[in-house]
Amino acid sequence: MLSWDLASQSTLYRSSLNGEKRMLETIAEILRAIIAVGLVTAGVLAILVWVRNLTRKLSILRLFIQIIASIAIFVILLFWPLPWNPILSGLVFSIALRLTLVFALIVVSTLVLGRFFCGWLCPYVLYMDLLTRLRKALRIPHWNLPEKLNNGLDVLRYVMLASFLAVALIFGVLNADVWRYVIMFMGPFKSLIIVFLSPIEPLIEQTGTALGFEVWGASFHDLRGTINYFNGPDLILITWLVFFAFTAGSFMVRLLWCRFCPVGATLSILNKFSALKWAPILHIDKIEEKCTKCGICKRVCPLQVTEVYEEKGGNVTAPKCIHCFRCLEMCPYEGCLNIKMAGKTIYKSKNWLKEEEE
Amino acid sequence: MKKTWPNRPEAMEYFDEISNFFGQREKEIREQKEAGKKLIGYTCMFAPIEFILAAGAIPVRVGSGWYDAAKLGDRIMPVEVCPVIRSTVGAKMVNLSPYLELSDAIITPLTCDGRTKLSEILSDFKPVWCMTPPRVKDDPQSLSLWKEEMQVIRGKIEELTGTKITKSNLRSAIEKMQKATKAFRRLQDLRKGPPVITGRDAMLVSQTSLWDDIERWTQKTNELCDELEKRVEQKMWAFPPDTSRVMITGTPMLWPDSWKVPNLIEESNPAGVLVVDEQCSGDRILYDPVGVDEWTMSDMFDAVSERYLMASTCPCFTSEHGNEDRVNWIMDRIKEYKVDGVIYYVVRGCILYAMEYARIKRILDRMGLPVYYLDTEYTREDVGQMKTRVEAFLEMLEARIDI
Repeated sequence: MLSWDLASQSTLYRSSLNGEKRMLETIAEILRAIIAVGLVTAGVLAILVWVRNLTRKLSILRLFIQIIASIAIFVILLFWPLPWNPILSGLVFSIALRLTLVFALIVVSTLVLGRFFCGWLCPYVLYMDLLTRLRKALRIPHWNLPEKLNNGLDVLRYVMLASFLAVALIFGVLNADVWRYVIMFMGPFKSLIIVFLSPIEPLIEQTGTALGFEVWGASFHDLRGTINYFNGPDLILITWLVFFAFTAGSFMVRLLWCRFCPVGATLSILNKFSALKWAPILHIDKIEEKCTKCGICKRVCPLQVTEVYEEKGGNVTAPKCIHCFRCLEMCPYEGCLNIKMAGKTIYKSKNWLKEEEE
Repeated sequence: MKKTWPNRPEAMEYFDEISNFFGQREKEIREQKEAGKKLIGYTCMFAPIEFILAAGAIPVRVGSGWYDAAKLGDRIMPVEVCPVIRSTVGAKMVNLSPYLELSDAIITPLTCDGRTKLSEILSDFKPVWCMTPPRVKDDPQSLSLWKEEMQVIRGKIEELTGTKITKSNLRSAIEKMQKATKAFRRLQDLRKGPPVITGRDAMLVSQTSLWDDIERWTQKTNELCDELEKRVEQKMWAFPPDTSRVMITGTPMLWPDSWKVPNLIEESNPAGVLVVDEQCSGDRILYDPVGVDEWTMSDMFDAVSERYLMASTCPCFTSEHGNEDRVNWIMDRIKEYKVDGVIYYVVRGCILYAMEYARIKRILDRMGLPVYYLDTEYTREDVGQMKTRVEAFLEMLEARIDI
């Protein structure tokens, strides 16, 4: 099932690299990375300088970072050549390892930054945000979930997480393949990366070759092979159905999947215990006196979080919150809501009626 | 009276003109009414001005501030009732207020007992649309009740004007009001520093927005702010910068007569300067903007409804923690505007404000801020006595500052 031949081709290619060429490749990689970082920084600065409308500034910045992050994630998944290592039980392991690393990264970053990953980096949130933007452009009003259902979905995420982990522990006993399987199921979108890109498979390969990077596209075959090996046709069908259901759902309900996405459970678990509430150093802080309870934060929240509105003051980050900071952006009272990082205020709500001054 | 203040900003001339009830603005409204526009009055700040503007009608607040009219109102209303209500009834009895006479319908939010029965009395002369604000504003059921009220009012406005409130005209109305809020907040920000404008002028500016054409008002307020910004650069203050900074809270003070207390504060010796207030006749008129997330009809409607209910700090509300929003508003203003003392202004019969005094005082005492309960009436007879009381309070504030 796996495309062994291609994998071995890749191995042959790698072994044929001599030291000098490898060094040049490395330098080229570093240069490319520097250019990429430079472009992203320039983009962020341009948004910070040019966007005058304070009710959109953070949203546009977030969209920009989301797009960059999604491109980066896809590039890493598809074009980053997989090392072929026969000692470590092969290709499957290395994919699983990589995905486990990504997962570990999410967990660690969640510990430090809260659900920053969800709001600013996750490609599936970007997809749902784009659906929301389309709906906004069509002037179709969104549906709100009843508060009880919304809170119920928040519990569902723990059930899902627990069942995945249980399956993994019972059947896999920390087997790398099963872990991969677990991670793949974290979002209905993630296993579809490959299905999406299948039609342009020849293009990926040809472009890579034409540009002189023969390794490009090799990973794609490996990845697709692995996923198809584990995802039988039924599973792929189910994934598609789930995917379409969620596309339709998130068109009408803002960020539907995030309301019970198991990946987001980590911060939620941390926030459940008040002793650990200090742990994520990035959080939203509210100053009670400045709040008139006008209810804007509650209405604009794409996840219908009510804590920012209801809680009196201090750290108002809810387990559900994905740090999109829409509430903060729309809060009309200067300094009422603040983004705090390690005790320092890095951004605060502004009187958005006035355009930002020079 | 107005002309006697030295160094008044030139831009205030416009507001003096528009503050005349029987002048330019009345003529304009008569002309517009002849052209087919409707005038919709309201007695209280819960009325959705955006809807009125969207339907192409003219919104105007019809509460009366005439002292003498209050005496007339005594014939219908018992003297125990708040003089704002009695004065409005009296004004109706002698057809005094042109805006009340010209209005085609009146929106009467039933916030306090006085306004509830005022609505009944006015219903003998005009179509009256009652609105019932819930007493607890945080509960979801309150909001859904309020939204239904708003929906009904919207229907009535549409029926009267014959204009449908559509996405586009509601959006432009919201944007007009947001611009007005922006200009108003600009003026407020200027008051945070040394007193560049007298409190009475600032109060006049915010009160004229209740009957003026809101776009022209916005433009003129911005002109005033431009002038004041120049004055800040020239360090041209309306009062010496070390004047005691006074905040006033309590019963609305309505133009033209009910400005006894601000006059006393700013003209007494030692003088105080009014830097901020917490009154539905002052800072609360325009301070809160309508925040729209998506420009769909439902979201705009929700945004307007929520702004009038949730952002309000009217004492008609309560909750299990008391009227904490009002307390927070006052505490925040005290810090933002570096207030030295608070005057709690209550007219006799305004029981909601009077009853909340004890709670507010307890909190202000904890902050170590002097607060003075000033109760009065719609009358000029007690000016001498009031002057003594205000001066004693301001002297005490000055002594505190010196220490």
